[in-house]
Amino acid sequence: MNTKLLSTFQWITLILLRMIIGWHFLYEGLAKLLKGNWSAYGFLMESKWIFADLFRWMATQPTVLQIINVVNIWGLILIGLGLMLGIFTRLAAVGGILIIALYYVCNPPLVGLFYSIPAEGNYIFINKNVVEMAALLVLLAIPTQRVAGLDLLLAKLLQQSSRKKN
Amino acid sequence: MSEEKGNADSKKRIDRRDFLQGLAGIPVLGAFALAALKQESYRRTRKAQLASAAVPQGDAAEVNVALLGVGAQGDVLLNSMLKIPGLRFKAVCDVWTEYNLRRAANLLKKYGHEVNTYEDYREMLDKEKGLDAVVIATPDFWHAEHTVACLQAGLHVYCEKEMSNTLEGARRMVQAARDTGKLLQIGHQRRSNPRYIFTHDVLLRELNILGRVVTAGGQWNRSAAPDLGWPKKYEMPVDRLKKYGFDSMHQFCNWRWYKNLGGGPIVDLGSHQIDIFSWFLGANPKSVMASGGTDYYDKATHEWYDTVMAIYEYDTPRGTVRAHYKTQTTNGSLGYFEQFMGDQGTLVLSESSQIGALYREKTQAGPWDEWVRKGYLTEPKILESKAEDLTQGALDVRETISPDEHKIALQFFDPYHKPHLENYFNAVRGLEKLNCPAEIGYESAVAVLKVNEAVEAKQTLYFKPEEFLAQGAA
Ligand SMILES: NC(=O)c1ccc[n+]([C@@H]2O[C@H](COP(=O)([O-])OP(=O)(O)OC[C@H]3O[C@@H](n4cnc5c(N)ncnc54)[C@H](O)[C@@H]3O)[C@@H](O)[C@H]2O)c1
Repeated sequence: MNTKLLSTFQWITLILLRMIIGWHFLYEGLAKLLKGNWSAYGFLMESKWIFADLFRWMATQPTVLQIINVVNIWGLILIGLGLMLGIFTRLAAVGGILIIALYYVCNPPLVGLFYSIPAEGNYIFINKNVVEMAALLVLLAIPTQRVAGLDLLLAKLLQQSSRKKN
Repeated sequence: MSEEKGNADSKKRIDRRDFLQGLAGIPVLGAFALAALKQESYRRTRKAQLASAAVPQGDAAEVNVALLGVGAQGDVLLNSMLKIPGLRFKAVCDVWTEYNLRRAANLLKKYGHEVNTYEDYREMLDKEKGLDAVVIATPDFWHAEHTVACLQAGLHVYCEKEMSNTLEGARRMVQAARDTGKLLQIGHQRRSNPRYIFTHDVLLRELNILGRVVTAGGQWNRSAAPDLGWPKKYEMPVDRLKKYGFDSMHQFCNWRWYKNLGGGPIVDLGSHQIDIFSWFLGANPKSVMASGGTDYYDKATHEWYDTVMAIYEYDTPRGTVRAHYKTQTTNGSLGYFEQFMGDQGTLVLSESSQIGALYREKTQAGPWDEWVRKGYLTEPKILESKAEDLTQGALDVRETISPDEHKIALQFFDPYHKPHLENYFNAVRGLEKLNCPAEIGYESAVAVLKVNEAVEAKQTLYFKPEEFLAQGAA
């Protein structure tokens, strides 16, 4: 990886961005896990817009809901760890974008939609979910994990072992 | 990526620099772990704190119980008691043998309790030996006679509120409890409700969360409702009705509204909440004025007032408090709750578990954030100012911004009466002190019964401090 593409300062800012997003995901997942009885039920039931029926249906099916809860919690935790440690980083970034996209389409801040759970800010089309998705897109495009992250070591190990075989 | 190949060729092995860069995430993860652990330990302490505030379970030494009066409330109490371990039901007494008595006995049978049934409580006290405790839920005008007789027969007594419809009767009850040394618990069940105890002991006394309380309020609103009816085929014969003090089946079912039998809604409902005023304010009232009347229902069958508003004045250890109370039986909006307002905040509390909030006064800087962190209160819900919406951002500075709403963190999901009954039976077993002994029930009756007098007198009535002592008992 040619680290000269960007200046050291530029790299540091991007790596910082990755750590921060990783931290956010990891704690969102961990807090839900530790709570023990967390469920996506309320969030899904609040769903507005064209997928509302689908999300509400999911909320009312106990097995489906159970799966959503487990996948969401562990998804958040693994994505968080991936971003923070820089391991399987691209996968984590893609996963992060998908999971947030789901939150977004479940409850999007579109013109004319109002929610009973008050948001802590004011949004139209763009909310913090979108900002986080865009940030993950940047991290997908620029492989900071090759500068700081376990993926750097992983890549080298793979190269070494493949060289030995030759 | 094409440049990766070049890079890999130029740097053949993993060096120290790669290693450090590779592990860059580890210190961040470490910091994360510290923060998460700390937060988790706060969360646990907070949970444990709330759990320990609940009423402890007693040892289940068996108590032999009789029921006296198993109407609507007797049924509620019985259903709660069936959830309490260590009770053996022996006997049930109710004059409505065709209906209520049968229903209670059948229910008990379903749970494996073979009980003897009685119409006359004297016969029950005569024949049943080996009873430890009785739970009385007959109409108010019977409480004094039933309680005194049971205490004298050597039983501990749980008697429903209102302690009695007359102070003379209530005094005899206090005296009988003192003379016999038996326990007498009055059914003001909020006195044992974990949310009320937590609010009183921790929020009000320990944290002084409201600061100097200046006013209190309360209401119990109920929707308009037809008089209670009865299944015609289970009608009681007239001579039995007369024997037990009722003119008719209608009066028997609707005794609350009649002057010599009950006290009307202000006594029926208000007694619970006016009792909370005294408890939370730490004082009995100094005076009361009231307005009331039968404004909606038929006066012939509703001798007591369907609508009452009362204003009390209290001399508390921290100064004067004025409290208003309303009971309305023609509109159920906003239900029932009590409210206390101090210079630091407002408390709104109700037996109904949805209501239980604190509002911090914006102008005061008590350590509310700290209390939230310790788990006494939930995080605030910001109540947006209406003015802002209406004037499109041009907020009128004279408009008071509505305070943040905190919920009382302690939740309570058991049947409302269960903790009070548990407290009673644990006291019978010698494990706890009664939460509402005769003396407290008496003080509450003095405060409540005076409202009806004040309505009639159309003037402020004053309490003498010695009125609250059940002295001069017959
Ligand atoms: N703590 C509470 O939340 C609460 C709620 C409701 C009622 N109460 C109290 O409970 C008591 C009963 O109220 P209720 O609503 O159940 O009334 P109710 O009329 O439904 O029941 C009264 C029962 O007592 C029986 N009874 C009447 N006279 C009797 C006598 N001399 N001997 C034996 N049985 C007799 C009746 O047959 C009836 O079954 C009242 O004192 C009331 O104030 C308390």
